Amino acid sequence: MGDKAADASTAYKLSCTLNGKETEMETAPARKLLSILRDDLELTGTKRSCEIGRCGACMVLIDGKAVNSCLTMAYQCEGKSIDTVEGVSAGGIDPIQQAFLEEGGFQCGYCTPGMIISVKALLDGNPEPNDDEIAEALSGNICRCTGYGGIWRAVRLAAERRRQPS
Amino acid sequence: MGTNAHEQETIQSPLVWHPQSAADAWQLKQNFGADAVYAAGGTLLRTQWESGLAKMPAHLIDVSRINGQEEPIREHESGMTIDAATSLAACRSDALIARKLPLLAEAVKQIAAPSVRQLATLGGNVSSLVGDSLPALLVYDAQLHLFGGAGEHWEELSDWLAATEQALLSSQPASRLLIGITIPMPEGTTDSHAVAPAQEELVSKTKRFGAYYKVGRREAFTPSVVAAAVVGSINSSGVLEHMKLAVGGGQTIPRRLKELEAAFAGSELHAATLQRIYDGVLDVYEPRGDLFASADYRKSTAANLIVTELWKSAAEAVTGGW
Repeated sequence: MGDKAADASTAYKLSCTLNGKETEMETAPARKLLSILRDDLELTGTKRSCEIGRCGACMVLIDGKAVNSCLTMAYQCEGKSIDTVEGVSAGGIDPIQQAFLEEGGFQCGYCTPGMIISVKALLDGNPEPNDDEIAEALSGNICRCTGYGGIWRAVRLAAERRRQPS
Repeated sequence: MGTNAHEQETIQSPLVWHPQSAADAWQLKQNFGADAVYAAGGTLLRTQWESGLAKMPAHLIDVSRINGQEEPIREHESGMTIDAATSLAACRSDALIARKLPLLAEAVKQIAAPSVRQLATLGGNVSSLVGDSLPALLVYDAQLHLFGGAGEHWEELSDWLAATEQALLSSQPASRLLIGITIPMPEGTTDSHAVAPAQEELVSKTKRFGAYYKVGRREAFTPSVVAAAVVGSINSSGVLEHMKLAVGGGQTIPRRLKELEAAFAGSELHAATLQRIYDGVLDVYEPRGDLFASADYRKSTAANLIVTELWKSAAEAVTGGW
């Protein structure tokens, strides 16, 4: 039988690309990606909140798609490319972050990293989203402060700036 | 001395197995029994572990690699097959599903959020027994490709749901592994609820209809209170034909309302018929209520959704109104 068990505590080594750097680490195979990022690697831009995939505060990019890191287990990241909000802003403030700043797309800011990640996944795949597509893309991100008006404006501004020649 | 969260998570982490075939996955499950759980996307499992509804098992059998097909969503002579481990996101963005299985496309669009759908699979949604894709798959007469002790076999989704519900009630859950879902399509036709070509001329003046509805307590990313799917056709005389109804939602295992389908086949669709269908849904559908929505509320919601779709379709099909 060609099966292979990844040992729970010692033998499992996760290999992936994290914020553009090839990374290897020993971890438990079913450990939450959220715990790896925040507790093991101190990448605390990714936020811990509901931990059941409902709020979107822990969103990261996996192979360019927005995914809840609280639902993702270590073994599911094998060979994948993972980007956190730290990676998104590694080269300076990202235009999406700038749009959130200018349009007041945040208040307490706790949901904002997850929002930024979801918007980046949306605009990278669909540079000109309509309102339905924006609503669907952000349906997994909850904000309890803003009432979403500023977030909508920020997404539209970020999309508009991407369309403009630099 | 207590352990910190990291140590606790490491201690509790199951061994993860990565079988490359259904037979190997099945054998692992036989070896470990109740200590092992199949997992593909793992999203439902994770929420059950976090909420304390289920214990993290000692062994996790990752079934995301057991098919090895190049095309997880494929069309063939007798219909379309979707591998069980296909993510809901892949189903949502697939052009073939959008074109040929529009009710399934609509159902998938309304399950969770895009980020969850990247992990969650169609097979997991079906295997949960209460997934919101099920009403759509039921009206498409979906068949399940399963692996069990006697090897591979096929089973009608509606039969499998009923049998699995009975097995759960008798505390004898079957541990068959879901490999794929096939939607049969009549030979020579281009979609799942088309009629066979020989009938095409006879029904050329019919209006075909089909709709999937999900009602929840929020506009988006919400558990269903009711999920319903309806397909059928109405001819130019206003007669109802080929109607299929399926209803579920919440913790109710969905089912086809075949008694109503049979009772109203060939009925002229007018206001009195709609009233009888509405009453019929109230009579035969037995949803599970909870603190948020009673069984009666779910019944009347289901009846309203079905009759609304029939009324809209009939109004478009028949000139002169009612």
